[in-house]
Amino acid sequence: MSETLDPRAKLQSVLQPVNNFHLESSETCLEILSAILEEKREDDVVILSKGHSAPAFYVILHEMGLLSDEELYSFADIDGLPSHVTRGLPFIEVSSGSLGQGLSVGNGIAMAKRIDGKNGYVYVILGDGELDEGQVWEAAMTASHHGLDRVIAIVDRNYFQLTGSTEEIMNKEPLADKWRAFGWEVIEVPNRKEKLRKALEKAKRIRGKPKVIIARWGV
Amino acid sequence: MIESFREAFGRALVELGRENPNIVVLDADVKSSTKTAYFEKAFPGRFIQVGISEQDMVSMAGGLAIAGKIPVVSAFAAFLMRAWEQIRNTIARDNLNVKLIPTHSGLSDHMDGSSHQCLEDIALMRVLPNMTVVVPADAPSVPVLLRQVVELEGPVYMRLGRDHAPRVYNKPELELGKASVLRKGNDVLLVATGVMVSVALETARKLEERGISAGVVDMHTIKPLDEETLLKLVSKVELVITLEEHSIHGGLGGAVAEVLSEKMPKRLIRIGTTEFGRSSRDYLALLERYGLTAENVVRKVEVMLT
Repeated sequence: MSETLDPRAKLQSVLQPVNNFHLESSETCLEILSAILEEKREDDVVILSKGHSAPAFYVILHEMGLLSDEELYSFADIDGLPSHVTRGLPFIEVSSGSLGQGLSVGNGIAMAKRIDGKNGYVYVILGDGELDEGQVWEAAMTASHHGLDRVIAIVDRNYFQLTGSTEEIMNKEPLADKWRAFGWEVIEVPNRKEKLRKALEKAKRIRGKPKVIIARWGV
Repeated sequence: MIESFREAFGRALVELGRENPNIVVLDADVKSSTKTAYFEKAFPGRFIQVGISEQDMVSMAGGLAIAGKIPVVSAFAAFLMRAWEQIRNTIARDNLNVKLIPTHSGLSDHMDGSSHQCLEDIALMRVLPNMTVVVPADAPSVPVLLRQVVELEGPVYMRLGRDHAPRVYNKPELELGKASVLRKGNDVLLVATGVMVSVALETARKLEERGISAGVVDMHTIKPLDEETLLKLVSKVELVITLEEHSIHGGLGGAVAEVLSEKMPKRLIRIGTTEFGRSSRDYLALLERYGLTAENVVRKVEVMLT
């Protein structure tokens, strides 16, 4: 049954019984997650800081054959898949659900890799609404101060947050300038898988500072 | 002998860092106050400066723990509490091996006043699943407990004062999770933690002069609480007193009250604070103002037992 659905339709069918739990946030995250998981090597780490996009993550896992139909459709049921990602699921290193902490955690992992002389990238997926959290900018300063060039943040720039448009709730623009001012290399791309994969490859070639990919929705 | 909690911590951390290459220390621009500067000097490659950002520091420590390090996070207790939600949602929820070791707890940062004095942290940490809560009584206890804290897998909050650490032990043999019985008594049991253990011992001596026999327990591990030892000692006395440099709500007094009310109802007096702190040039004057002295406890016991 679900195999015949494309990822977006699958997402909708998973979320129908739970009042469309953060459906839009998951929809705009589908291609980002898909691009990252295709790009991900064994020693890379993925952190879904915007934890409410968990359904998109589960759909991608299902597409990869890592979750059964039964598991996927157990979303948010009492012993089923947790509504926000938690440690112990495939590829999930840290539980999220509280916004603003993922970039700091990613920096910690990148710092440990540096101390141990290990390779591997740390991909951190942030929501644009999540950028309201001051801790994100604390972490942005830490990453650039320490030159953590193994950290690649991806901002899901979908222009909405819980109760309205991002620019009405708390404006984010000029977003690229903000990241640049914090010492980051910025790559802006449309939120489409092939564009994102190219951006990830480009980001990896840039050394000496952390990188952020701003994935713009609707362009 | 009066020693310093933070000096003992800074030195012990260097010792442990020498033995264990996995220890990494994080600082939010207070290294000279917490004495983690000693670690930085000895192991600059394992010292991470994050600037004045406790929330970032705590979550970053989570990442280091995920990658197999033993991160030690140190800050003033009051300001580490601004990262309580990070401690809850990332460190405790994922049971990460992060060691939170604040200094300047209680009223010990006397000069800086109410903003800097932390009288709520034991309660805030005790309520978190997976979290172990430790409060050493004196300077010699610090290295002994710190070693076990580092060896324990999982999150630990070890609360330290600043510089006023009257010597309780010469060579402490302490075991994490096991209360240390310092004195036996038949009338009153004094259950104390941190710097108040020395006050409890003084109280017991004063009570003895008045013909009242008081036992003293150093409850250095507040969570998990050593209920077995506590109940065994409580069964022999009429009155139990808890002493802590912390609010009586939710701290050691709260923990002991919970156990006694369920398992062995007994008259209990909680000695601690109920207000915010205040500035004082003299730390001991501050303890006196808040009733954290042997004289005050003796008066309370006399009222109760006569």
